[in-house]
Amino acid sequence: MAELGAPQVMLEASPDEIYDIELEHSLLEANAKLATENRALLDQSGITAIDFMGAIGSGKTTLITKLVGMLKDKIGVAVFNGDATTSNDADAISKQNVPVVQIATINGCHLDANLVGKGLKKIDLGNLKMIFIENIGNLICPAEFPLGSKARVVVVSVTEGPWMVRKHPHMFLGSQVVVINKIDLAGAMEVSVDQLIADVHALKPDIKVIPTSCKTGAGLNEVAETLLAV
Amino acid sequence: MHEFSIASGLVEKLLDFAEKNPDKKIVEVRVAIGEFTQIEDEQLRFCYESIITEMPIAGSRLTIESVLGRVACSHCSYSGAPKYWDGALHGLPIATLECPGCGNAARVIEGEECAIRSVRFMPNEIARAIA
Repeated sequence: MAELGAPQVMLEASPDEIYDIELEHSLLEANAKLATENRALLDQSGITAIDFMGAIGSGKTTLITKLVGMLKDKIGVAVFNGDATTSNDADAISKQNVPVVQIATINGCHLDANLVGKGLKKIDLGNLKMIFIENIGNLICPAEFPLGSKARVVVVSVTEGPWMVRKHPHMFLGSQVVVINKIDLAGAMEVSVDQLIADVHALKPDIKVIPTSCKTGAGLNEVAETLLAV
Repeated sequence: MHEFSIASGLVEKLLDFAEKNPDKKIVEVRVAIGEFTQIEDEQLRFCYESIITEMPIAGSRLTIESVLGRVACSHCSYSGAPKYWDGALHGLPIATLECPGCGNAARVIEGEECAIRSVRFMPNEIARAIA
């Protein structure tokens, strides 16, 4: 007699009725493929694209505005602004009179290569040498989605506290340059810039770290020179 | 929540498979997630389960296989497990790109995967019978 609660009839799929197929299909491949296409188009057009990632309020927009101001008379520069909703950042950079593409992700947490690819079709690439891409203010999600840029820059600022690097380590592993911004406020914030630099280097010894202040202008020339040389 | 984008891509692939194989029921999908990605297992599973309700693949199980990171160094020819940094606040050691052999920068050779490894399915009549 069957035990209480156990089914009277047990029917199980025998091993030869269950099939496994190996797929080996990358889930990030679709984005990676579009990123490669973006990169090919950029290379062919002689354009270097730089992707800026960092938290909301780290100073990405201000940094890009300053860099555009320094470079626009020497080379053709355009800016892609990723934002979940507003066009505040794009509006601010537009005052520099360079081509600006607003990419609204409508609450999406990262830019992807598809959106950037669409943006590249909207502007005249002819006279451009550099495109700055401002990613969504987020230190986690953009890491998994390359856009086709030649270098990725992480912007952190001392006002975000002393643990920014330790709390978001992955973002730094895939980047080539780290900007530690708002160093003029380091004293008031009691945050050690040297410790932030040491934290970055503990993760990735060869990453370039540049302390900056968009207010005093400290470090901005070095950022511009570094990005021109990538 | 980039896990949602990744789960959506996964579901799209599986629906594609289901459409091409109308006589089969997908019961499990195995996915490999590398240590150097920033993809959280629990969130990926939650997104997957949320998306597939009301779909032909509803009830299928997502199995996540974690792939440990490996790095290689061109400065000292080290190849193997990465150096872990325990400076992270939550105490979980973080894989770094500092070469465990010489301290220079190493590169990732394994642990960046986010891929479907295999799909397990059975004929519909069996699936219906044991449901």
